[in-house]
Amino acid sequence: MTEAYVALEGGHVIEGRGRAPGTARGELVFTTAYTGYEESLTDPSYEEQVLTFSYPLIGNYGVREERFEDDRVHPRAVLAKELTEDVADWLAEEGVPAVDHLDTRDVVTDIRDEGAMKCGIAVGDDVTEKDALEQLEQCKGMSEHTDIGSQVSVDEPVVRGEGNDGETVALVDCGAKGSIVDSLLARDAEVHVLPYDATPADVEAVDPDVLFISNGPGDPANYGAAIDLVQEFVAETPVAGICLGQQIVAEALGGTTEKMDFGHRGVNQPVLDLESGQVVMTTQNHGYTVDEPGDHLEVTQINVNDDTPEGLDGIDHDIITRQYHPEANPGPEDTLDFFDDVLAMADERAQRAVPADD
Amino acid sequence: MSTDTDDATGDGRKILLIGSGPIQIGQAAEFDYSGAQACRALREEGAEVVLVNSNPATIMTDPEMADQVYIEPITTDAIAEIIREENPDGVIAGLGGQTGLNVTAELAEEGVLEEHDVDIMGTPLDTIYATEDRDLFRQRMEKIGQPVPGSTTISLEEGESVSELTEEDLTERVQEAVDEVGGLPVIARTTYTLGGSGSGVVHEFDELVERVRKGLRLSRNSEVLITESIAGWVEYEYEVMRDADDSCIIICNMENIDPMGIHTGESTVVTPSQIVPDEGHQEMRTAALDVIRELGIQGGCNIQFAWRDDGTPGGEYRVVEVNPRVSRSSALASKATGYPIARVTAKVALGKRLHEIENEITGETTAAFEPAIDYVVTKVPRWPKDKFDDVDFELTTAMKSTGEAMAIGRSFEESLLKALRSSEYEPDVDWADVSDEELEEQYLARPSPDRPYAMFEAFERGYTVDEVVELTGIFEWYTERYARIAESTRAAQEGDFTEAAVAGRTNAAIASVAGADVDTVEQQVPGRSYKQVDTCAGEFEAETPYYYSARKNEFESGPLEGQAAAGELEVDPDVESVIVVGGGPIRIGQGVEFDYCSVHAVRALRELGIDAHVVNNNPETVSTDYDTSDGLFFEPITAEEVADVAEATGADGVMVQFGGQTSVNIGEPLEAELERRDLDCEIMGTSVEAMDLAEDRDRFNALMDELGIAQPEGGTAFSKEEALQLAHEIGYPVLVRPSYVLGGRAMDVVYDDDDLETYIEEAVRVSPEKPILVDDFLEDAVELDVDAVSDGRSTLIGGIMEHVESAGVHSGDSACMIPPRSLEADTLARVREVTEDIAEALETRGLLNVQLAVRDGEVYVLEANPRSSRTVPFVSKATGVPIAKLAAKVMAGETLSTLEAEEQIPEHTSIKEVVLPFDRLPGSDPRLGPEMKSTGEVMGTAEEFGTAYWKAQQAAHNAVSEGTAVVDLDVDGFEDHFDVETFDDVPGAIREGKVDFVVSRDRDTLEMAVEEEIPYLSTEAAAEAYVEALRSFDGELEVDCVSERPKRGAQWGDE
Repeated sequence: MTEAYVALEGGHVIEGRGRAPGTARGELVFTTAYTGYEESLTDPSYEEQVLTFSYPLIGNYGVREERFEDDRVHPRAVLAKELTEDVADWLAEEGVPAVDHLDTRDVVTDIRDEGAMKCGIAVGDDVTEKDALEQLEQCKGMSEHTDIGSQVSVDEPVVRGEGNDGETVALVDCGAKGSIVDSLLARDAEVHVLPYDATPADVEAVDPDVLFISNGPGDPANYGAAIDLVQEFVAETPVAGICLGQQIVAEALGGTTEKMDFGHRGVNQPVLDLESGQVVMTTQNHGYTVDEPGDHLEVTQINVNDDTPEGLDGIDHDIITRQYHPEANPGPEDTLDFFDDVLAMADERAQRAVPADD
Repeated sequence: MSTDTDDATGDGRKILLIGSGPIQIGQAAEFDYSGAQACRALREEGAEVVLVNSNPATIMTDPEMADQVYIEPITTDAIAEIIREENPDGVIAGLGGQTGLNVTAELAEEGVLEEHDVDIMGTPLDTIYATEDRDLFRQRMEKIGQPVPGSTTISLEEGESVSELTEEDLTERVQEAVDEVGGLPVIARTTYTLGGSGSGVVHEFDELVERVRKGLRLSRNSEVLITESIAGWVEYEYEVMRDADDSCIIICNMENIDPMGIHTGESTVVTPSQIVPDEGHQEMRTAALDVIRELGIQGGCNIQFAWRDDGTPGGEYRVVEVNPRVSRSSALASKATGYPIARVTAKVALGKRLHEIENEITGETTAAFEPAIDYVVTKVPRWPKDKFDDVDFELTTAMKSTGEAMAIGRSFEESLLKALRSSEYEPDVDWADVSDEELEEQYLARPSPDRPYAMFEAFERGYTVDEVVELTGIFEWYTERYARIAESTRAAQEGDFTEAAVAGRTNAAIASVAGADVDTVEQQVPGRSYKQVDTCAGEFEAETPYYYSARKNEFESGPLEGQAAAGELEVDPDVESVIVVGGGPIRIGQGVEFDYCSVHAVRALRELGIDAHVVNNNPETVSTDYDTSDGLFFEPITAEEVADVAEATGADGVMVQFGGQTSVNIGEPLEAELERRDLDCEIMGTSVEAMDLAEDRDRFNALMDELGIAQPEGGTAFSKEEALQLAHEIGYPVLVRPSYVLGGRAMDVVYDDDDLETYIEEAVRVSPEKPILVDDFLEDAVELDVDAVSDGRSTLIGGIMEHVESAGVHSGDSACMIPPRSLEADTLARVREVTEDIAEALETRGLLNVQLAVRDGEVYVLEANPRSSRTVPFVSKATGVPIAKLAAKVMAGETLSTLEAEEQIPEHTSIKEVVLPFDRLPGSDPRLGPEMKSTGEVMGTAEEFGTAYWKAQQAAHNAVSEGTAVVDLDVDGFEDHFDVETFDDVPGAIREGKVDFVVSRDRDTLEMAVEEEIPYLSTEAAAEAYVEALRSFDGELEVDCVSERPKRGAQWGDE
């Protein structure tokens, strides 16, 4: 059997069963979703992380490309109690080390108690504990990945749904999930996917009805270009954001963000809408959160468990953002209407803009 | 819109909560659990709770559970009377099963609720109607664009007859119908025929035409229903919760391993779903939310889907059914996730919003979340297959199981094997005698309680996964894992134990298949440690002590000790603690009464300041509620697994008296296992040795002789010849049964040699390993049951019960009364003396049940069992003396005198009447006999026997006082109330609706009465009591809450 070792921050090494060979390192996190492993494994927000599935049986319904969120697997390595052949083979093909027959509940409770931690993984016929520990030593903290956007973003602008009748969206791709683009296209928008380091000129070239900052991995402070774009355009163009996008918007407008102990990753995060009193279930995958929204944003939705901001509205500008993933995939479809709200905001602005042009 | 939440408390509100009545097939202990939880939740909010239930064997009917407890029939008359007396502000209908819903709907229809200004809280009545009416439901689903299985009817027009219909005409109509529901196969169902005869899946068009022709002829209203066949699709259930502000959540989904076409109560069910992709799951989740919103449900609800992989990313689904209330599935979902559905439903009914209700498990979060699970839960039903030789136990759309067991594991294999072990079911099959052909046809293709075991057998024989999938229709992912289990067993036989251990086998079982000793196995396999059920997959630190065990992975071996064994356990081993072993799944002979006893034991221990841990695996019960005990261990009940709990918790003692035969049976092996591990933990109360003595016929006889206590003459036979010889010595009739039986299994009264030989050959196959007992049958004796508590010095008699039925009817199936009415004072004094002598001789510490028979003033002992009995809750409800609690306290070292316990004799008469399952088990023999067949019980109390008996009949829905009766037994008096008629063809007359009541012992007649739901009596004793009741009942129904019924402090038999 293939040897497999996982070295946790602090030097504790656990043994498992090797399912896909290789060595890797990253920030160790967990998701509590029990379906949607294909979507999670292809979610760019997991870049530079090692993903632990708290649900023990992963891969039960196979692997199908039409359920992917991106064209490759993003976590650096995968830990589980039991992976099926399908998933193990896929990860091996993708060169992503995978380990199972682990007590993942122990791993999860360690992360809960100690916070998201560094880890090193070594899987192979001849690997030893030392190999895993070496990986651990080289592991960097998330905020040290200062150019992480370049790993997950398009290199050049790409237009999707060209000629669609709806609003024009400039989507700043900091690691966008495919379902965000799909949700916009399903509402007839023309989506211009721009690189994470797009310039104001790139945005002007699109002349969007809304500037949309996507989700993505890592520390929002490392997305200076996107922060600049928000500051540049907020006065004239509606702004929307999802996940990292919300944090970037907050950073841009005088708010602050902070790293959470171990973040929210799962498909059961309850969010209370402060106006309607309704609670909805949301998909989340974030390790940073907005701390103070600043003077230009107001909190409209909060997490029922820890009161962290889940939705922001602009006070003096057209802005709506969500910390969670309204596009689902994986997870509940309770909040898909966010995209309607964004496009309505964009449309209103477009309508207002028409007479001004005359 | 936002509810004004200032009103959303119970302050000052009086709420009527209706229970579900007796345990029946299809309605088991789950409503005791949900009702008990709701009582607590409502009172927490300051509400006053008035509870009504006819079932005394429940925790919810304990005096401390509600402000007023009524043990009265769940009929509109009785409840209307209670409403008049109590004037409640509201009634919650959704917590008492179908019984509670129906009676609430009737009360509303009769105007009682309006007249007394009683609000229906939670889910509105309209919703209930919308889910029960097929057409209405279809319309509502179509309105919100939800797909339901296509359906249409083929019917004859006025004046048309099938014989006149041309082939062409019929073919055309059938073709139209097939097209309308989306093509073949379809399900053809003839409406309004008996027992759903003639319905089924049809694949061929020609066959369908013939079915329709036949169906139109048979159907009373000339109609055949054609529906889209979803047989073979995967069945899902989604448990949903909604508050008045429209916040909706899914508590969990459940996947049935058996494909669509088998009732979910009969299926092996897994939580969460394993084989549906996220997109499919989310589509059904969204559909479930849309449906619950459309219907306006407030509180918990259950939605069934059929789903299949049609090649699209999410697959396709149909909405099959909605249950607008808390159900068996919600009890399972509550235990599987830790989310207290009944509690939240009760609070939502008061107007609270989900995010305002605390999640007690984490203490940090609220009820507004969807539980995340990091384990696999499997539920397997438990069928009374051993009780009904004549019944076909093929699994169908109708339920036949009486209960269920649930298990939690870290893999499907572990979860499944733990569940199968918990169900305590062993197929009565010698696989060596089963040919491949029979295996395929009878055990794999045909779903039955034996199918999981047949799958293991098939893999043992070298069948491939594909072949088994083809035969069973069970999804490949699951089938593969059955194959892995079979493979691990083979490896164990060859000396590699690890896989079998990780797959969920006990060390003892592995040692047994491998021919190794337990110590060797134990050293080589990974040990178990405890994990917490926390509703959140580890994301938050949980406070609630709800645990399951899981094997470590293969990289570790040897038993875990100390902290490693304890795992996530949060118990202080230095605190005095005791384990109460529960009763496992509900079955005939072992019902909710043992859960009642277990819960009382737990409460007694906690009152003494001792931590109480529960080991049990029945998801329907109060004992497996996370806040019943200091540590809940959801585990199979085996010596090894209970010893693990003892080791991990550092428990000082184990109580095995309260969980019926299940817990008693592990007494001896557990004692040995505690000894082997050298644990400082003892089996409390009466010694295992004494319990064994009571069950060992010869030793018990010797003891009775020594004490000078009479017994029916009898003996043990190890062969047919010995049995015949014994019978001749004693003289016919004799009572015969296998030794060590539960609930009178395979017991019979035989009248001659032929009978006896037939019994031996067909029923029990006597052998030196399986001896049978042959006893003098005391015809016409009065049978008694006594429940008592002893502390080793003195004995407190809880109650003496007199059976209505005479000997020959199993004591568990006989109606009984407390206090007795036909015994002389000196006989009662002798009963007391006998009970005290036996208690002393067995050195009883705890409960003692003695069964006696009285004939010609002589008191005979039939059986004595130093453990809890099924009559304990009835005795406590009738007398107000909590004998199970007293027993637990005595076992923990208290004495009856320090507890100041006193006997109470009620002034009123209480009747316990049984509820029988024959309507659910076509082909079963509906006559009462020596074999126990009842599933549950009701209680009726009144000032004297007749009215009390009548109330009990009402509660059992067996009360009819006018119309046409058939009386085949030699009992007078029915003619005063009924038109007593004779028919040449009695079953035919019943079928034609000419008969309203039957008194008979003719099997065909009774089977027809069962089928037509006509009340009947099958014994003279019952008939005589019934006549007496008819005479006493004057039409006035008096209801009294339990605490107000008068009792006097006096000693039983000492007056």
